[in-house]
Amino acid sequence: MPTVFKSIRFHHVLPAIAVLTLALSAGARGGDAPDRWWAPGEGRVFPAELDYDNANGTLRALLVDGPMPTKGHPFFEPLGPNGRACVTCHQPADAMSLSAESARRQWERTGGKDPLFAAYDGSNCPTLPQAERASHSLLLERGLIRIERPWPVRQFNGQPVTPDFSIEVVRDPNGCNSGPRYGPAAGRISVYRRPRPVANMKYLLAVGFPYDPKQGYALPLDPDTGKPESGNLMADNRAGNLRIQMEDAAASHLQMLRRLTPEQRRQIEDFELRIFTAQQASKTGGAVNTTGARAGPARLRDSQPGALGSIGEPVWSEFTGWEKISTEEARSLTPEQLAFRQSVARGARVFREKMFLITDTAGINSRIGFGNPVRNSCVFCHNMSQMGNDVAPGQVDLGTTTLPFADPWADLPLFKVTCLKAPHPHYGRVIYTYDPGFALTSGRCADVGKITLQSMRGLSARAPYFSNGLAKDLRGIVDYYERRYSIGYTEQEKQDLVNLMSVL
Amino acid sequence: MKRTAIAAGWFVVLAAPLSAQAQQAGELVRFIACPVYRDTDSGRKSGCWLADDRESGIRYDVSQSPYKPDWNREVLVEGRVSADPPTPCGATVLEPVRTSRLDTPCPRHMLPAEGYAGRRYKLPRRNIDPLSVPRKVPPGPYAERTFPVYFEFGNDFLVYQYDDWLIDNAVTWIRAAHPRKLVVTGFAATDPTSVSGRTIAEPAGLAAARAASIAETLRRLLPGMIVETRAQTGALPTDEPEADGLPGQSQRRAEIRAVF
Repeated sequence: MPTVFKSIRFHHVLPAIAVLTLALSAGARGGDAPDRWWAPGEGRVFPAELDYDNANGTLRALLVDGPMPTKGHPFFEPLGPNGRACVTCHQPADAMSLSAESARRQWERTGGKDPLFAAYDGSNCPTLPQAERASHSLLLERGLIRIERPWPVRQFNGQPVTPDFSIEVVRDPNGCNSGPRYGPAAGRISVYRRPRPVANMKYLLAVGFPYDPKQGYALPLDPDTGKPESGNLMADNRAGNLRIQMEDAAASHLQMLRRLTPEQRRQIEDFELRIFTAQQASKTGGAVNTTGARAGPARLRDSQPGALGSIGEPVWSEFTGWEKISTEEARSLTPEQLAFRQSVARGARVFREKMFLITDTAGINSRIGFGNPVRNSCVFCHNMSQMGNDVAPGQVDLGTTTLPFADPWADLPLFKVTCLKAPHPHYGRVIYTYDPGFALTSGRCADVGKITLQSMRGLSARAPYFSNGLAKDLRGIVDYYERRYSIGYTEQEKQDLVNLMSVL
Repeated sequence: MKRTAIAAGWFVVLAAPLSAQAQQAGELVRFIACPVYRDTDSGRKSGCWLADDRESGIRYDVSQSPYKPDWNREVLVEGRVSADPPTPCGATVLEPVRTSRLDTPCPRHMLPAEGYAGRRYKLPRRNIDPLSVPRKVPPGPYAERTFPVYFEFGNDFLVYQYDDWLIDNAVTWIRAAHPRKLVVTGFAATDPTSVSGRTIAEPAGLAAARAASIAETLRRLLPGMIVETRAQTGALPTDEPEADGLPGQSQRRAEIRAVF
């Protein structure tokens, strides 16, 4: 993958410089340009606008009120003994997440010595020989970080939750769910998940309505502000606000022995609320904010978060302008550009309008009363304008982590969950899962396998997809949904969806 | 608010002969059945839900229930025969109607659309505005008042686009009225009744569970408000309008009483 770092503002670029920029984007590496990998403590300046190439085009990161020196900034400085910083797993080039490709690149560049591969959670298990590549296979192949959850379940404040299920380990290929130190009997359950993007945060924190219809309660209140929580921050919703998320991450991923100071938290939160990322240009289709399209990170930065697409601006209507490109505008495009833009516009419509039967999916078909099955489209859940996450807390079980829907993974632990009270509404009394998901936060059998929907922005920069890296590429996402719900997409519709997702 | 408890005897007498005359508009029907999904497609949420009353042999369209069936489980159907034509789904329409999901398993059954269009989805009357829309402050004077909230049979789950709307209205009033405390009483229909040849009754503990569920929601919506809970079994029907004239629905409720 060519590496390009540009700290120049596109809208200030003169034509001659644009030619140079194009050359850089094509694959040349600037002699003095910093590497695309942000190592902790480098002290770079984070520019107001930052572009990185990826396989599908160019991702742009916008920093409101940037540029910002990162020297001494707690998001960018190694705070704990393992040498990591927040930025280690939330890389600007990867839409503030971490691609498996970047992890592999760092392994090759550092011989596996990068702090990313810290034994604690950057390997399949700390008990494995750390110098061996195979001990980090989950991170290198699927971008997975080990997440350790307490058992029995505890709330964010350490208060115990009495689970209504028991959990046993069926298979432990990595050794982190058995033995004297790991596993349910030792009070520690290891699951493996993708880092979620730390960008476009105002959307993830937005609260559209006062209720969580999936749980049947009003939204829980933020313990710090007393305001309703969005429930959309973490895969298992274990942290309802950024303070709790930061402290969780600092104590685990950074292995900090001390708590973050209030000033460090303030600085991290300030940065996270100012950073916006999205694909800015497609290699095939060109810039996403031309010929009537209105996508890209600037739109994200400038829009109001938390709007429900079905009663306001339809999801991905940013590309409506590409449905009918005028003849005059079409003349300015290559045939490939025109065809790609038309495909993206069709993909947006397929996303909104292609109906299919959603079945046996907790969070949709139960306990909320939509019925099982219910006919709807992708925007049923991916309903927030501009972002495609859920306006309500998005804990839904697509089956990506739970049998029989999940793909077989011999290298992931498999748990047997037994519901002690009411059976799960779809799986029954006994459930086999690679990751119980939200149930490890709520303690409820009905929540096994639920994973919080996340942002759909910057996808081209951060493969693989789904919480356990099930889909290695964008086509893999579409294929999973097709397998799961027998949607009946045509080949054209599949490609249109892939093209749409490639420019988000 | 008008609240009248209706004698249980009235309910039994009224319900007993209904199935034989079920085709008359406004008649009440109550039965248990395995639901049938008809795969109509007029856009989102447009599939039809059908249920057959075994005693009368009549197939009903129960799609208008605020909480819809699960094709893997039996449903308790409670509804009134509508004068609407059966054109959307191909069966006699019940409206208002409730379909409570029971624990007993059913074989899945899906019918093709067979030429029926289903119903194009429209937002129900009972849907709340986003938080960004200011609520209209209800006028005073304010005095003790009770707000009912309703549940599926055997369930304490807050019903989307029904209970959230009822609670939103109640909370808007409570915020304006500043009562001293709230008393939430959960009710459960624990008296056994015979439906489709089966005796059904809600468990006694459900009354307290319903009260606790609504109280928790109120504590989240009204931080600092004193919320007490009570439980009452043997719930009787009421004629509260938001139960839509369905006695069984009116029994399965919680009441939020604002005390000054």
